[in-house]
Order: sequence, then structure tokens, then C-alpha cells
Amino acid sequence: MVLLQPDPFLNELTSMFEHSTEKGSVWVTLKRSSLKSKVQRNKMKTAGEPLDYRCLIRATNGKKTISTSVGAKDHQKFQASYATILKAHMTALKKRERKDKKKAADATTNKKDGESSKKRPKKV
Amino acid sequence: MVYITSWDEFVERSVQLFRADPNSTRYAMKYRHSEGKLVLKVTDNIQCLKFKTDQTQDAKKMEKLNNIFFTLMARGPDADISEVTGKEQMETQATKRGRGRKQ
Repeated sequence: MVLLQPDPFLNELTSMFEHSTEKGSVWVTLKRSSLKSKVQRNKMKTAGEPLDYRCLIRATNGKKTISTSVGAKDHQKFQASYATILKAHMTALKKRERKDKKKAADATTNKKDGESSKKRPKKV
Repeated sequence: MVYITSWDEFVERSVQLFRADPNSTRYAMKYRHSEGKLVLKVTDNIQCLKFKTDQTQDAKKMEKLNNIFFTLMARGPDADISEVTGKEQMETQATKRGRGRKQ
């Protein structure tokens, strides 16, 4: 498990996406962590508890795992870059074509039945 | 494994799950380019919520959810999210204090 700084992590993540286009998956996990052992945490609790939590981000392609931790100050910058990477690589997903075709087909069939039955009570 | 069909329900329940136990809740995402599929999972090791999709529009919604989780995890479970617009609202409120009416 390789712990990196946020920027190298993003570079490695990009190359992971690029290498797994033919086959394979990319997993990314987010978890909140203080990155301290239980002993340290208990000590801090009895002392005064200034526990600073960070967001731990892990990524793997099944063979290699990389990770980084992001704090409250740099999380906004990181999430912007992260979003850009995802947008650039998730191109295999389908667009809304099927739903629009289905809606158009259903609308035309429903209109024919609906109009004839609905208009009659209104006239009365 | 519960696969949730409604996106909004998935978001609401996963945020609830995180707020209930922020230290053991994690958010995982798996993307397969060869199949064009995206699967999201939120679990606190007791309950598990999953969402799968192959739609680009859901990837956009997932980006918003990513922002929500980043904020919650980095700042704390009580952070004001309101889907990222909450941050902007907090900033505008702070500036309003300084302005007083000169009469």
C-alpha cells in the first residue's frame, strides 16, 4: 500500500484509469480517519481531544493500491481535480438515448387512449 | 447487499448512515470501462447500501455526492453541506455582517 501526497496520487489515479480501459476495474474508497492508533486516540481523549480528522482516499486496480489523505484545508482543491479526472475517464457510460425513445413511444400510445377517455367527463 | 433504485433515496440514506457512525462508515466506488458500469457502495460494516448504473447522468450526480462525502469526512459529520451550495451560503452570510446601513 503506497501512501502518497494528493498530487502524485491524482497522477497515479489517472494512469490507473488509462491502463484499465480494455479490461479491469478501478476501485476508489473514501473513509474518515484520524490516522492515529487507538492508544494515541485514548490519550488525546483524556487530555482534551483536539483530534483532527482527515479524509482517507484509497484507489486500486486490483493489483496495485495507492492512497492519500486529505485534510479540511486541501479537500476542496482535491475534490475539484478528482472530479475532473472522473469526468474525463468515465466515457463508457451510456447517455439518455433509450429513455427518451421509450418516453416518446409511451407518450404517443398513452395520448391516444387518454384523450378519448378523459374528454368525455369534462363535457358533462 | 441492498441495491437501491432511487438516487435520492441512496444519497439520503448514505448521509444518514455516515452521520450515525462517521468513524466506521466508508464510501466505495467501482468503475469498469470494459463493461461501462459504475457501482457505488456505502457501508458501516453492519448495513450496506449499493447503487449501480451505466448512465452518464448518474456519474454527474455521483460527483455531487463525492463533494458531499469529501466535505463530511474532512470537516466532520456536522458540517453544513446542502449539496455544496451550503458552503457558498455560509460565505455570503459572513460578508453581510460587515455591511451596515449608513443613515
